[in-house]
Order: sequence, then structure tokens, then C-alpha cells
Amino acid sequence: MAIGTNGSAARPRRATGRVVAITGACTYLGGELVRQLEEDTRYAKVLLLDVREPPVLAEGITKARFYPIDLTQPTIDGEIATLLAREGVDTVVHGAFLAHPTHATEWAHELEDVGTMHVLNACAAAPPQRFVMLGTTMAYGAYPHNPNYLSETAELHGHRDSRFINDKVRADKQAQRFAREHPGVQVAVLRFAPILGPTISTLHTRFFGRLAAPVMAGHDPLLQFLHEQDAAWALKLAVDGDATGPINIVGKGVLPYTTVLALMGRVALPMPYLIARAGAKALWATQVLSSPPSFLDYLLYVCVADGSKARRELGFTARFSIKRTILDFLGASPEDGATDIASSFA
Amino acid sequence: MPNDPTDPTDDLADDLADDLADDDDAADGWPSGAPDASAVADASWPDDDVFLGGEASLAPHASQDHYPSMLDDSTELGAEQREIERRLEGGRTPVYPLDARRPLPLEFVWKRWRTFAMRGRSDVVDDFGRDPIATARWEWVLDFLYSKWFRVEVTGLEHVPDEGRALLVANHAGSLPYDSAMVMHAVRRDHRARRDVRPLVEDAVFHLPWLGPLMNRIGGVRACPENAERLLANDELVAVFPEGVKGMSKLWRDRYRLQRFGRGGFIKLALRSRAPLIPVAVIGAEEALPLLGRITWFARNVGIPYVPVTPTFPWLGPAGLLPLPSKWRIAFGEPIDLAGEYGPDAAEDRLLVGRLAEQVRAQVQGMVDALRKS
Repeated sequence: MAIGTNGSAARPRRATGRVVAITGACTYLGGELVRQLEEDTRYAKVLLLDVREPPVLAEGITKARFYPIDLTQPTIDGEIATLLAREGVDTVVHGAFLAHPTHATEWAHELEDVGTMHVLNACAAAPPQRFVMLGTTMAYGAYPHNPNYLSETAELHGHRDSRFINDKVRADKQAQRFAREHPGVQVAVLRFAPILGPTISTLHTRFFGRLAAPVMAGHDPLLQFLHEQDAAWALKLAVDGDATGPINIVGKGVLPYTTVLALMGRVALPMPYLIARAGAKALWATQVLSSPPSFLDYLLYVCVADGSKARRELGFTARFSIKRTILDFLGASPEDGATDIASSFA
Repeated sequence: MPNDPTDPTDDLADDLADDLADDDDAADGWPSGAPDASAVADASWPDDDVFLGGEASLAPHASQDHYPSMLDDSTELGAEQREIERRLEGGRTPVYPLDARRPLPLEFVWKRWRTFAMRGRSDVVDDFGRDPIATARWEWVLDFLYSKWFRVEVTGLEHVPDEGRALLVANHAGSLPYDSAMVMHAVRRDHRARRDVRPLVEDAVFHLPWLGPLMNRIGGVRACPENAERLLANDELVAVFPEGVKGMSKLWRDRYRLQRFGRGGFIKLALRSRAPLIPVAVIGAEEALPLLGRITWFARNVGIPYVPVTPTFPWLGPAGLLPLPSKWRIAFGEPIDLAGEYGPDAAEDRLLVGRLAEQVRAQVQGMVDALRKS
């Protein structure tokens, strides 16, 4: 705590209330956080660091200000540090991560892995009191030896050849190393379960948005989803609170993959893993598919996280059950079943 | 708020209240009946709007008189319009409640398809993936095997507690886990509290194609300390087969000779979670699938520890995996209360754990021998 308190005491405090800097304010979670901070009187100022002006600013947000920052630039850490020191930022929320894989893997690596390094360098130079980073439970990896519920102490295995996952693993590990080296900064890494919802766009919304989906023949792992509103709420709780370390943010309940497909009314295409993998590799290489071949592993083995730490330390329990999350994603209310599934393909 | 001389929120609130008062359809938030076509036609919506077409129904407060300009960002409809644009930008088709829903010709097909796809499965499973509907669907198979095929005789069921956690420790045999299924079914069928047993299934079986997911749906759980601890913390009955794959792969000539009880993980589990151990002896599983030999040279490549050779498999193909109709006996022994004797710290004492595991193994072996002689 010593570093953080000294650091912020030395800085000019023009505003009464907390000052938050958000990277990746253009994302769904970033935008939702800005809206919630706008309504919370404890927060005085919000700095939005992103490459383009976040759409949330157009909604008459008064507390927020946009600073064009490109995390992939080589000397951007110095600029961020100056900004953090000048504005007296006490909370940094690092959310500049991709929700779905891109074929521009080099750029994604620069943004996620190197971008995290830049943000952490800036935080080392101008230490905030609190640093919150957005991660994913996919970083644990889907492996046959996984227990049904992975706790935060489980190792991040990632995926042997997925840059999309491994960049997130490396960002997560960087944040943990930063936490060890800077005990004065409260570092929290929120590992979100796969997020579904009517507005958000992620790897999973794209995958399940298609009419048909592959099923690895003979395998049917349990899946876990988090509703986008639950995710936004958990992020706000994490920014408010003082919980540290990695924290799994998960939804309520699990469902087998084939049941998820049935509930969504998707056509399940059973195929052997090796054939599916070869096909997915070819389609990914030709940029026909937007989900990488490594995603198939998550349809083979279980990768479900345990949310008890979030319940204890953040007071977060998901409000949406997995079934409700799926119906909400489809645009169906429980009363009318999922009869308007077809409207999402109109 | 650039173009907004008056505060629109009051108007909208009043309007909403009016709508709720005189429109039943609005009671559940959104109109579900026939859309008010005249209101939409009179409004200033573009006709070619795909998502808010002619038959579209709108939010309940959006009545004709209060239609704001679409360019007016400060009102709720302006916000909705922007939201729709945001969704389109994100590559997602906008859906309820933002876009108005239109019945599509495919709707009927989708409804039937969903009902068809959901047959035999429940939309709620428990924490470890047991599906109540799937369990009920397979119940008759287990019951047939239990009462007609194996003609199981059970003794000592009164030792299984009516409530609270307990760890059933049983011997293991047969290339397929028919014994876990029978122990599970015995307690569910004949115990007075009809409790559910969660058998822990070793990886080699749990990840078998089709069979693994099926076992998971009807109650099996992958054997690992984290899962077992979580189950016991929920006060469930857990059945463990500490011999593991070594028990399953013992040959006919070694039948009913219990193998090493793993590394004593089940003892640590019982000590940590303060659960009583109930020794269980199963007779008949060895004869149901007598293992004459094991083929290992290509089994590793397909991810299983060995290919069993029995009198019927692989000669009869998959049908050879069906068990022979041997006579089964299952005996539940007196509970061993380790928690009364040792504290939770005893789980760290490796010598003690090893000794206790061997004691329990000897006890189960004694029960098996006594049951075979009787």
C-alpha cells in the first residue's frame, strides 16, 4: 500500500473522488463500465485510452474524456505514465483485449501481450492504487486432466498452438508478476467465463450464431457461460472493491455442449476430432472461418471455472442462469420459448 | 442533450403508465399480440428499414403522439436506434428487445426442431453434469441389468447413511465400469433413502467416446481430488474404486485379488472432508467380462490403456462388450470413522495414509473372500 498512497498523495488531486483510466473503452465491457462510473458519485473522472473515440462518449457522458492512445506503439508506455501522473489516476482498468480472434495475429500479439507490458510499465512508473485487468477462463485451457471446476490456483496451460489464447495467458502472467514486484498496487485479474448476450460480440457469440456447429464425435464436455450484464456488473464490483489476485467470474450453472446446441436450435454436425481439426485448419487458413482450430479443443474437454472466490471477495453471484443467458443471446424470452430463433438469421 | 427543450423522461413515464393501464399486452414488457400497424405506418420510420418493418411492433411507450425524431439522440428511441447501429457494427444481427420481432415462415420448423433436439435431455444439469431426464431414460437399462441380468443380491445397505457425506470404497473389476453402475443403482433402488451415489470414474473410461459422456449424464464424475472434495462438501455419497485402471485390467487368473489401493488419495480425502469410509465388496464383475488378455501395442495410439480380450470381445465386435450374465453379490460393510480417530492434519502424514489405505484394502479383500465362500 505504501507506494500507492505515497504516489497518489504526491500528485495533484484536482477532483474529489476516484480517477479511473480505462484502456479498451470501445469494447462492450469498457463501455458498460463507463456508463456505470458515470452514475456513481464516488468517481470523479474517467480517462478513456483507446485508438478511436469510444461510442459510449456520444451518450452525454460528462465525467469521461478520450485520449487517443495506441498500445502497439513502441514508446507509448511513457505517454501513458505521464498521463496517469498528471491526472492523478488511482485505478487503471486494462481491458484492451480482443474478444474474438483475428487473422492479424502479429497485430493481436502486439496489442495484447506487448500492450499489457506497456500498460504495466506505465503503472510501474506512476503506480495507481488499483489495477484491474480483464482475462478469460479459456486461459486455463481445455485438457483431459482438468477437474470439473478450476480454481484460481490452477495453472494457466493455454493452448499449444493458439496465439489468441496464449497472448491472454502471457498478459495474465505479466499481471501476476507485476503484482509480486509491486506489492503496493492492488492487482486483480478478472478471468471471465465465455460471455454471451444479445449485444456483445465474442468468439462464442460468433460460433453459436451460426446455423450449424461441429460436435466432436463421442465427446460432450460441460460448458459455462456468463451473461454480458453479469460481466459488466462484476467488473464494476471489482473496480469498486479491494479484492486482489486472479478472480474467476463465472455464470450460474453448466450445460453439456450438445444440450446447448439443442437449446439454441442449432444443427449438430458430429465428426471425428482429427477430421474436424484438419477442416478447421484449412478453413481458418483460407479465412473462411472466424473461429480458430484451437477452439475445437474446448468442445473436447471441460474448461469450467469455479466462481467461489468472486462470491467471497467481490460479493458477485451471477444473476442469469446458463439457460437464461442462452435464451437472452437468442433473443428469446423464456415465456415464448425460443420460437424466434429464426429472427437472428433474418 | 442538444435538441431537447423539455425533459422527455416524464412524458415517457406517463405514457408508459397509460399503456400499462389500458393495454394488457404491455404487461409483460413488450407487446406480444398483433402490432399496431397504423401507428407504425403513420410514424416517420423509413419503409425500407429491414429491422423495423411495416408489421413491426415497438416498445410500449412509443405511441403515435410522442414519436420523437430519429435524429434526436437524447430520447430513448434515438438511443435504441444507436444501439441497433452498434450491434450492426459489431457484426451481430440485432435481436429482441431492440428490434421488433416478426413471425417468420421458418418459425414453425425451428420450434419443432428444438423440441426434437431436446428430446431425452434436460435443460438443467447439476454441477457435475448429471441430467435428470437422461438418468430417467437409462434407468430401465440399469434396472434390467441389476434385477434380471446380474440378479444382484445386496447386503448391509443399512450401513449407508440416510443423509450426509460418505465415501464408498469398493473393489474394481471388468473392462467396463459395470460395477460402478451396479453400486450406484443398488443404493438408488434398494436403500431406504434412495440416495444418489456419485461414482468416480477413472480417466481411461471417462474420456472414452460416447461412453464417457453417457456416464457423466447419469451421474459419473471424473476421478480427481478436486471433484471428490467438492462432492463431499455438498454432503453427497461418493463411490471410489481405489484400484483404478490396475483393478480393471487384472487378468482372469488374478480375479478377486485386490491391487494396490492407488496412492491413498481416498484416505486423504476422507481425513480432510471428515467423511466416513464404507467398504464395499462386489462379486460377479470379474465373471461378467473375464479378461483373458490385454493388447497394449496400439491401444496407446487411440488413447486407451489396453484393448481387452475376453471370451466375446473383440470376436463379436461391439456386442462382445455386453456382460455375461454372472450372478452378482454386493456387500456394504460397517463404516470406518477415520475422523473420530485422526484430525484433518493426519492427511499430511504419508506413512499413516499408506498404512490406513493398506488396512482398508485388507478389509475389503476380507469381505470379498468371505462373500465368495458363502
